[in-house]
Amino acid sequence: MRRLFADRLVIMTALVVIVMAAVFAFLRVAAG
Amino acid sequence: MQLHYSMRGAVWIFIYLLFILAPLFALLTGSFPPSPRGFPGEFAVAVGYSGLAMMGLQFGLTARFRYVTEPWGEDVIYHFHRQISLVAIALVILHVLILFVLRPQRLAMLNFFEASWRASFGALSIYALIALVVTALWRTKLKIRYETWHLSHIVLAVIAIAAGLLHMLGFGRYLVDPWKQALWVGLTLFWIALLIYVRVVKPLFMLRRPYRVVEVRKERGDTWTLAMEPDGHLGFRFSPGQFGWMTVWGNPFKVTGHPFSFSSSAATTDGRVEMSIRALGDFTSAIPDLPVGQRVYLDGPYGAFTIGNPADMHVLISGGIGVTPMMSMIRTLADRGDKRPVILLYASKDWESITFREDLETLKARLDLTTVYVLQNPTGEWIGEQGYITAEMFKRHLPPPYETHEYFICGPDVMMDAIENALKELGVPLSKYHSERYSFV
Repeated sequence: MRRLFADRLVIMTALVVIVMAAVFAFLRVAAG
Repeated sequence: MQLHYSMRGAVWIFIYLLFILAPLFALLTGSFPPSPRGFPGEFAVAVGYSGLAMMGLQFGLTARFRYVTEPWGEDVIYHFHRQISLVAIALVILHVLILFVLRPQRLAMLNFFEASWRASFGALSIYALIALVVTALWRTKLKIRYETWHLSHIVLAVIAIAAGLLHMLGFGRYLVDPWKQALWVGLTLFWIALLIYVRVVKPLFMLRRPYRVVEVRKERGDTWTLAMEPDGHLGFRFSPGQFGWMTVWGNPFKVTGHPFSFSSSAATTDGRVEMSIRALGDFTSAIPDLPVGQRVYLDGPYGAFTIGNPADMHVLISGGIGVTPMMSMIRTLADRGDKRPVILLYASKDWESITFREDLETLKARLDLTTVYVLQNPTGEWIGEQGYITAEMFKRHLPPPYETHEYFICGPDVMMDAIENALKELGVPLSKYHSERYSFV
């Protein structure tokens, strides 16, 4: 069960990082 | 304590994300050239930077900082370390794939002989990452010795990180400002410094704090108890259920230590510790031959698998050699004169291989201890529990309400999964049970 929690943490981390990478790209393009 | 650990866990998740995202978003400050790549290209750059930062953070996860690992338990940290490495390598490969799709000519970068040095370092980093993951996932199938793999794992990780940094500095579109270069170089040096701390500084400290084997005792079930005393120092105090990394032959600079739970009482004050080890492989099978007086090195204590939360009774569930941390808990509770009931459900192959059977009977005189042996291969006259530990078995031996007891589980992975499901079925909340998987390395 604790490993299941760790698995969820991995998925959440991956999603946060991908979303933030998209935010980074958006801001970078917007900056010209 | 549980809430305190949850808070600390949340803080560490925040710090973990900060270490990935802060250096990335720092690139958007200061000066940088115009972006000719558009959204997909910039996204590719961002996932590349993030993937590298995540790989660097792996050094932090495995640096065995007690303060970091305590809220989770060492086994969960290592599980996270393994899973997140797949995410990191996926991000790095995504970085490459997007850039190749945007400009297929870039495929030439994978050829060491034609590519520029900065591209070659990128390719080297990716090859090292792939080798790292393949050897970690399929070490057993590839028949790589644990010690060889461990050394190659460290070397490949350093190559991947260092080559990734050089690749980044070589292209340097975002690292125009010297302070940004300093930030990323500094971060990389910090990760490598963590490795140096674990592999050089800590062993130096351990070298000055050796232990001596004072007794090698045969137990039931192909198991030997190794009693060790500090040699010229006071030793350390541990909590029952915790474990230490032991180096027996050679010095603490040897890459491979072996993790074993302490089986002795944590209430002793003379620094003496005992580890009970079942002969399951090359290393463990050589334990009975250890001479008294042998110098050993212990790195510990580690692990969050320990008693201390408010509970009306302790339910200890173990399979095979998973009984060792339970034995430490039982001995400690007896030494402390704890009056609360303790129930040990202990799955074992057969009656003869029940490790500590006689010790457990003796301890019943000093503690409200009930033992329930569950045998896999019982003989004809066995009238006790047999087969696997199930929710029905809990109902037969535990008084309700089940959610007020504190549960501790240690054993083979399959057994632990089954027991965690059985406890869920009984309505026991996650905060009330603790587990440690001894197969985490």
